[in-house]
Amino acid sequence: MRLLSIELYKIFKRPRTYISFGIVTATALIFQLAMMSGGREFFKFGMQNITEQFDVQGSIINGYLVAYLILQSLLIQIPLLVALVAGDALAGEANMGTLRLVLTKPITRVQLVMIKFIASSVYTVALIVWLAVVALFLSLLIFGAGDMINLKSETFVMLLKDDVMWRYICAFGFACLAMTTIASLSLFLSAFADNSIGPIISTMGIVVVLTILSNLELPLFDAINPYLFTKHMIGWKGFFDNPVPYAAIGKSALVLVVYTVGFLGGTTFYFNKKDINS
Amino acid sequence: MRRFWLLVLALLFLQGSVYAYDAEQLYYKLRDKVLLVKDYTADVKMKVDITYMRIPMLQGKLYFKAPNKMRMERKGGISILPRKNVNLTLNNLIPNGKVTVIDAGIGTINGKAVRILKVIPEDEASGIVLSKIWIDETAMLALRTETTTQNEGTVIMDLEFGKFLKYSLPDKVTITMDVKEYKLPKGITMDYSEVTPSAAKDEKVKNKKGVIEIHYLSYAVNTGLSDAVFKGEEE
Amino acid sequence: MATIIETRDLSKSFKNVDAVSGLSFSILKGDVYGFLGQNGAGKSTTMRMLLGLIYPNSGQIFINGTEFNNSRRYLLQHIGAIIERPDMYGYLSGWKNLEIFAALSRQQIPAARLHAVLEQVGLKGREKDKVKTYSQGMKQRLGIAIALVHEPDLLILDEPTNGLDPQGIADMRELIVSLSREHGKTVLVSSHLLHEIEQVATRMLVIHKGKKIVEGAVKDLLHPDETLVEVVIMKDATIAGKLAGTQWQQHLQASTDTGLTFKLNSKYIPELSKWLVMNGAGIMEIRTKHSLEDYFLSLTNDEVTKHRTV
Repeated sequence: MRLLSIELYKIFKRPRTYISFGIVTATALIFQLAMMSGGREFFKFGMQNITEQFDVQGSIINGYLVAYLILQSLLIQIPLLVALVAGDALAGEANMGTLRLVLTKPITRVQLVMIKFIASSVYTVALIVWLAVVALFLSLLIFGAGDMINLKSETFVMLLKDDVMWRYICAFGFACLAMTTIASLSLFLSAFADNSIGPIISTMGIVVVLTILSNLELPLFDAINPYLFTKHMIGWKGFFDNPVPYAAIGKSALVLVVYTVGFLGGTTFYFNKKDINS
Repeated sequence: MRRFWLLVLALLFLQGSVYAYDAEQLYYKLRDKVLLVKDYTADVKMKVDITYMRIPMLQGKLYFKAPNKMRMERKGGISILPRKNVNLTLNNLIPNGKVTVIDAGIGTINGKAVRILKVIPEDEASGIVLSKIWIDETAMLALRTETTTQNEGTVIMDLEFGKFLKYSLPDKVTITMDVKEYKLPKGITMDYSEVTPSAAKDEKVKNKKGVIEIHYLSYAVNTGLSDAVFKGEEE
Repeated sequence: MATIIETRDLSKSFKNVDAVSGLSFSILKGDVYGFLGQNGAGKSTTMRMLLGLIYPNSGQIFINGTEFNNSRRYLLQHIGAIIERPDMYGYLSGWKNLEIFAALSRQQIPAARLHAVLEQVGLKGREKDKVKTYSQGMKQRLGIAIALVHEPDLLILDEPTNGLDPQGIADMRELIVSLSREHGKTVLVSSHLLHEIEQVATRMLVIHKGKKIVEGAVKDLLHPDETLVEVVIMKDATIAGKLAGTQWQQHLQASTDTGLTFKLNSKYIPELSKWLVMNGAGIMEIRTKHSLEDYFLSLTNDEVTKHRTV
């Protein structure tokens, strides 16, 4: 516990940590601003199919929808922000030179990896809680609550106002799990590197490439597609479907847990054997 | 023997002399009755059953003002109604102005004998090409309309009457309409695609009909609704 | 005296380059043990192995008689170390750095102890400043403070005078000596400069290309037997020949027309000079070198790899 609080102190004392919070805030604000001025036009485009035949009235652009759009657009950024800290966890200390000093202290490497992982996860959860504050609560404050429209590629889902909040809570919970997987991936890459740029960029590279793969839906990749964690990372969206595909979400959660444990195991295994030459 | 009687009956019907009104009369009588309702405010429950839409039962207030104003309000919520020119109101599906009425014989709807009229409006601006109306002659109620529009395909409207018979207003309206395809690029929506069973997919392709059910819970008729009620947000 | 560190046949190679090979040595309790070698000789690698930062390919390390790998965590509680540069969390204050590393030593260390150790290394008054504003010397002092804060029995200091100004170097020397003499600590200190080792160490080991060259008590290594005697003479091509077959020949290290270099006990210098004069050599000057410096340099520069133990 003491070691964890030290680790958290180190993370939250660094200016770099707050860059992520700043980026999340800025993205949310920009989005909200854009939605305030041109939200209707933007959404008209997506709704073209629908409005040709139907007369959709009421406050479509409301806090719930705006929050959803923000989350959707942050899909790529958040992993980067998680990697910013988790990728730095071991490699950053190696780069700074503090790793060798830390490891001459009576803590085991396994302990260190676990503490780094837990601390990165705490940061990740904090980031997502912050995201909830600026993306959801701020949007609700600006745009008000209302029925939520969720445009999927083949389905148009509408959720009643009183039926949305719990979905967000579940979605943020799931996002925490998904981003913890990213944190474990970054930590894993971090164990191999002696500076934090490598793991951060590699994490992003992996996420981007795999996301493209999962979206391409080429028959060639059909066999591996269900096992790509990027496909499961967006499981939070499932909570905005009706009915909620619990079985699929459960499976996704399981896949993410397996990946997380795998990355963590890999990190521990490799880091435990690694010579500290930094 | 039975066949003979059927033939006689059929001939009688065709002759039309057994009816109280001829086709045209019947149509105008019905229209006059429908037009008696200048406006109404109704509490409704709406069920949207369209393959690509997943919308829960919507509850709200439906405002109507003749000839063609309609708005659903859901205490700040979102409401979805078919587009104006195929509006849910009978007034809209029964063409106004000068029309040509053709007698299309008889039929039954839910065990009730009905007369069937085909109505062709002369005014093309209404967007209606042809209306087919099933009329319960005794109650002077339209139980079904099938309206072919220029742009929106065919809209079938089934009306059930009960509690609100005194205004000739239905308890339940079921609208069956052609629904265009809906698809957005996956690259934009970034779907979380749970596995869709292939059977469901096949069904999707075939079933292009959308059904909207409106249950009327109460009506307030001819209260003199102001136009301002309909100046809500659009789209 | 009890052995505090013992290594047996320690070897480590990186990508087929032998960084340390077959290194065996022992450090006794209370020693200031000097670890002398040029840069890249394998000092840091050895020290990292002693701290569990690097895993040896073969060989064993015993600390207080316990195999290191089996009780690393326990043993590290009693060790304080600086390895190469003293790198800290630059964005935190000196005090916070000290506090963090004190906490990592898994002991309850009162604030008074932190103040005391800062006083001891001369950082008092600057502890609230961020470490990134510190000079190299201040960082080194903070490194020492971190190594000392949990009052370890054994200190492993890798080139602790690096980056220090002359005053700092003198302070460091004094600190090491006092830690050993007054506080009974065992200190393993490395340097690439012999005179640094010479001034503080009781025992020393010379390492070159990962191999032990010589290990022993500094006073033994400074034994007069090892004195280099350089004799400058008037040009004489015959004198070297005259040495053949005499007792001096075995001490002769080098000879030219104008100079002879012997390695011998300094007590023989008068006798040597007498013999040279008697054999017609015009002696201009006799220089002696008592320091280990030349010995060390000659050993390492000449790439002497043979093992010698004094």
